[in-house]
Amino acid sequence: MTFDMQPSGLPTVFAITEDEIDLNALLARITLVSTGAAAIFTGMVRGETKRGEERQTEYLEYEAYIPMAEEKMKQVADEIRAQWSAVEGIAIVQRIGKLYPRTPTVLIACTAAHRDTGVFEAARYGIDRLKEIVPIWKKEVSPDGELWIEGEYAPKAGE
Amino acid sequence: MNRVKLLFFAALRERMGTRTLDLDLPAGLTVRELKAKFLDEYPEMSESMKSVLIAVNREYASDETLIPLNAEIGLFPPVSGG
Repeated sequence: MTFDMQPSGLPTVFAITEDEIDLNALLARITLVSTGAAAIFTGMVRGETKRGEERQTEYLEYEAYIPMAEEKMKQVADEIRAQWSAVEGIAIVQRIGKLYPRTPTVLIACTAAHRDTGVFEAARYGIDRLKEIVPIWKKEVSPDGELWIEGEYAPKAGE
Repeated sequence: MNRVKLLFFAALRERMGTRTLDLDLPAGLTVRELKAKFLDEYPEMSESMKSVLIAVNREYASDETLIPLNAEIGLFPPVSGG
């Protein structure tokens, strides 16, 4: 896990991990004395998906290009700060490996002085951007076989 | 010569059967020329290469990007984290 305390004193935490995501520990690291609100998004594995017909998922297997993924997570955090200057702390964590239904796989949290600061939108932007540019992939394993999930976004050079 | 390291991920890694491949290239190639050379040697990868994203030294590249000496080149499908 990388803990990046900027000259401004605003904490950014980002990590690719095989360990369980510890929300309380992350929240503690991005909470300042001036913080009064945190918007937290977390995604988890679904055991059932309806894509056309109903499908069962046994587990998802995640992999990442770790050094690049960490650099891109840092970039997502920088983009959030450029758009929402009221954001205080940012945590971006992706869990990888074999993950079973009901398990949290990703967490984006943004903190601010209070809720009317764009902090909800900032967290939303964080998860949307992670899904566009951070090099992580998942394979869906079901009783019927295996399927790599492919995103749709093609980043521009240098993006 | 330019010795580069290719790194494969996800479906491309499985299809290649390896995570990494060292390749000797003439100096001054673009990503487009690298793709063509790679497909000459690994024609079975042509389907996987249709939607491939390429990162040069951990930054997204275009077909026109020049490949620096000893570059690390990631080849992978559109990302699907979260």
